[in-house]
Amino acid sequence: MPKTGGNAVDIELTINGERTTVEAGSADDLATVLRQHGYIGVKCGCDGGTCGASKVFIDGEVRMACGMAATDADGSEIRTVAALGTQADLHPVQQAFVDNFAVQCGFCIPGMVIQAVALLDSNPDPTEQEVREALDDNVCRCTGYQKPVEAVLDAAGRMQGEQSVAADGGRPVTVPPHGDESTSCCGGGCDE
Amino acid sequence: MSNDDETPKADGGTASQSETVEDGRSEEHPLEWDEPENNDKAPDERDSVSHRTEKYDDRKLVTGQAKYTADYEERYPDLAYAAVVRSDIPHGHVTDIDTSAAEAMDGVDAVLTPESDAVPDTKYTSAGQSYPEPSPWDMHVLNKHVRYIGDPIAAVAAEDRATATAAVEAIEVSYEEYDYVTDPEDAFDEDAPQLFEGSEVENEIVGHDYDCNRMAHIGGELGDVDAALDGHTHVHETEWETIRQSHANVEKHTSLAYTNEDDRHVLITSTQVPNHTRRQLAHLFDIPIRDIRVTKPRVGGGFGGKQAMVVEPIPLALSLATDRPVLYEASREEEFYAMRSRHPMKVKARTAVTDDGDIEAIDIYALSNTGAYGSHGMTVAGNVGSKPMPLYSKVPNARFEADIVHTNTPQTGAMRGYGAPQGTLALEGHLDEVARDLGLDPIEFRRRHHMEVGDLDEIAGMMGGEGANRRIRSCGLDECIERGKDAIGYDDLEQPDEDHLHRGIGMALSAQGTGVAGDELGAAQIMMNEDGSFHLQVGGVDIGTGADTAFLQIAAEVLGCDEDDIIVKSSDTDVTPFDYGAYASSTTYISGMAVKKAAEDAKARILDWGAKLLDEPVGDLETGDGTVYSETSGDSVTLEDIGYEAAYGDDEREHILGKGTHCTEESPPPFAAQFADVTVDETTGEFEVHKLVVAVDCGVAINPGMAEGQIEGANHMSYEMAVSDGITLDEKGRAEVADFDEYGLPSATETPPIESILVETHEPTGPFGAKSVAEVPTNTVPPALSNAVRDAVGVRIREMPITAEKIKTKLDERET
Repeated sequence: MPKTGGNAVDIELTINGERTTVEAGSADDLATVLRQHGYIGVKCGCDGGTCGASKVFIDGEVRMACGMAATDADGSEIRTVAALGTQADLHPVQQAFVDNFAVQCGFCIPGMVIQAVALLDSNPDPTEQEVREALDDNVCRCTGYQKPVEAVLDAAGRMQGEQSVAADGGRPVTVPPHGDESTSCCGGGCDE
Repeated sequence: MSNDDETPKADGGTASQSETVEDGRSEEHPLEWDEPENNDKAPDERDSVSHRTEKYDDRKLVTGQAKYTADYEERYPDLAYAAVVRSDIPHGHVTDIDTSAAEAMDGVDAVLTPESDAVPDTKYTSAGQSYPEPSPWDMHVLNKHVRYIGDPIAAVAAEDRATATAAVEAIEVSYEEYDYVTDPEDAFDEDAPQLFEGSEVENEIVGHDYDCNRMAHIGGELGDVDAALDGHTHVHETEWETIRQSHANVEKHTSLAYTNEDDRHVLITSTQVPNHTRRQLAHLFDIPIRDIRVTKPRVGGGFGGKQAMVVEPIPLALSLATDRPVLYEASREEEFYAMRSRHPMKVKARTAVTDDGDIEAIDIYALSNTGAYGSHGMTVAGNVGSKPMPLYSKVPNARFEADIVHTNTPQTGAMRGYGAPQGTLALEGHLDEVARDLGLDPIEFRRRHHMEVGDLDEIAGMMGGEGANRRIRSCGLDECIERGKDAIGYDDLEQPDEDHLHRGIGMALSAQGTGVAGDELGAAQIMMNEDGSFHLQVGGVDIGTGADTAFLQIAAEVLGCDEDDIIVKSSDTDVTPFDYGAYASSTTYISGMAVKKAAEDAKARILDWGAKLLDEPVGDLETGDGTVYSETSGDSVTLEDIGYEAAYGDDEREHILGKGTHCTEESPPPFAAQFADVTVDETTGEFEVHKLVVAVDCGVAINPGMAEGQIEGANHMSYEMAVSDGITLDEKGRAEVADFDEYGLPSATETPPIESILVETHEPTGPFGAKSVAEVPTNTVPPALSNAVRDAVGVRIREMPITAEKIKTKLDERET
């Protein structure tokens, strides 16, 4: 059972296209509630609303899910990183992050990918400076932002190409080399 | 991402060593290295190594499906959540802990204090180093004598996070307050408040004097530095100061503990050092090592901060007390005030230089503030000298000394670079100043003196490290300098049109190590499946570095298979072979060599089976493209056919297993040449960094894309040291930073473009010629930027961070 903080109420959410009723405590932030329902791509790196790792689309706008009360999201439509692409068929932004070695520990990446998708939706051909401004409240400790910025610029090129030629992320779709949950180096709980 | 951890054994290194070193050690450290023929492959012979292979875990990471420790929450329906009561005073004795209100709260399962049965009273260090530990045992899991604002006093387990937090707030702690000291120079005074009685510390470090808060004193000398300083007219002395930097790993320290159905005490934890953590927990809780299982899932960055066993004892104690799984996830505020940080230091550099511009002596002294406890205090300070000084190993007289001092401030620890950033700032800033003062080109001045292939580095040895002298067998410094100069546009720098704007370029060199010389162990095992695929079990720890991918590439290069045919398991102390863990830039070099040996062991068995199936001599066979093929007949048999035959054959059968274990006395330095391009406004002191260029010799980059990422990330961390305040403290030593928006981590718009250049050399002691990469570019931006500002407007900033105000003040001073 999900564990709630404070008095629990039911809220209605549409998460990645699925309508659902979830229990949320008055003290719970939206990131906690989404994570409790399995959306672990919503990451929590700060004490609320400063690192960008929990970014999701809420009614089309990018928000840090950890920075808002879950009850305030009642009735909204939420899209998380899980709605973008699958391991076998990545979104062009995700594919560009992979191909440009923009991912190290990966903890900030779902939030960065969400922000990059939002940028390219509104500005399909951004300058480097515009990409940096878009990512300005996404904290990344591993990469120095160099390769993420290059990845977003690369994704912009791929997506512009996509408009004229139907394509995926710019690389042939392949079976993910190690995509199966059962073979992940999960490290934990392998005695389950 | 790791940190260095070399261990000067004592403070007794003396000049007399150098008299015997020259001849004797030459034989011990020959230039020629007995390298296996297959270790040195030309670029076009490499099938997997030095390819930009897709990172093993990337598809899971970009889709948000990868699991970090906190993501295991859902597997444990009866999970309890931990929170910690921490000291609110800088120094004192806890006289009472009133837990009654917390214990009466609904949903509170346990409240632990220093007196609780489940809480060990054993002294320990959280350092996460090898054994015997070169850090003092001066800590307790929960404390009655508190020494900084943040010291843990009590711990709570509750049904949910909010209740755990509320319970912590409901606990009343009473103190007898003691005098406190937060400045390391004040702490050195004999009248200063004393943090430890000597008798309170076990496993003390040589040179300690707790009466004046000195945790350790280390040093060593080659030649006669004082004589050299007396004998030359050009003697320069400069002093430098560095910030208290946070690791700022975006995944917070997180640990989940439970006891499973087989009575195994399991920790799923965000650590760099599963095996050291297991050993330290066994020591603390008096549980046999074999009964503890430490596993690490994906880790959201470490940078040295997760080498420390910062959180693990808390959930384990609570889990033992409640008989439930317990998750402890530090808050971001705790990350800044109660986890670990880089040691702030003051470093003095002195040199003696002849009229001809030859450096006759280098003398470095560091005063390191280790904070309330001593983990990594001595070893980090040692690396202030032992990493940067070998760059100038031709200099005949060299001395390094350091005092490591306790204050009532947050704990420090291992952090990427591990003392080298502090030493590199002092030495590379100093030499730049000397060159400019003597009218010499700063780059040419470095070129005349820097390390080369064939040199014998005696610096680590001078500090008492047995056998720590190194013969240099790979060095790409000259090429690093040349390519860096080209990339930054050194020779055709254009000045801005406006008279008040001045543009300058600064350079700094750096060397690091690759693993702790003589104090590493890595191991790996490869199991072949009947379909010709493999399981690689390796203790080497991927904390976001891409180590799993590097291991795959090394194994695939040997086995002649596709990387996709190998499954990596790392790391789980019940399953994966022993490894010291991810620190000291050791993973690719040490654990990677263990993987190579394991793959070669498996390959030998595969070739035997190939010989049998092809009916050809083993000596004619090789692996490649998923087959064993004959170099004479051209016939081949697939690895899958071999796998089935070995597992299910008619007459004899075998599970094809390869094992490898690696340790070495070697620790070859990687090298970096850093360039910074800056424009300074002389009216305001404001400056803009246009670009950072860093050229790195890491031997053969196993995966160039990942290596570039390491370099750029390290340079960003280094840039932060040059321009940010770090964790500032108030007068009581309380961290003034509680969340990312208050911490000066340069954002995407605040970070200049970083150009990374890989300069390939071949290091014969490393797997396929590799040496380390992740730390050396962490050391270089503060001196390069200080040098660039000096180049632009002629003033020198020695106290980090470099700010417009400091530059303006210096410019104003110069005018008056």
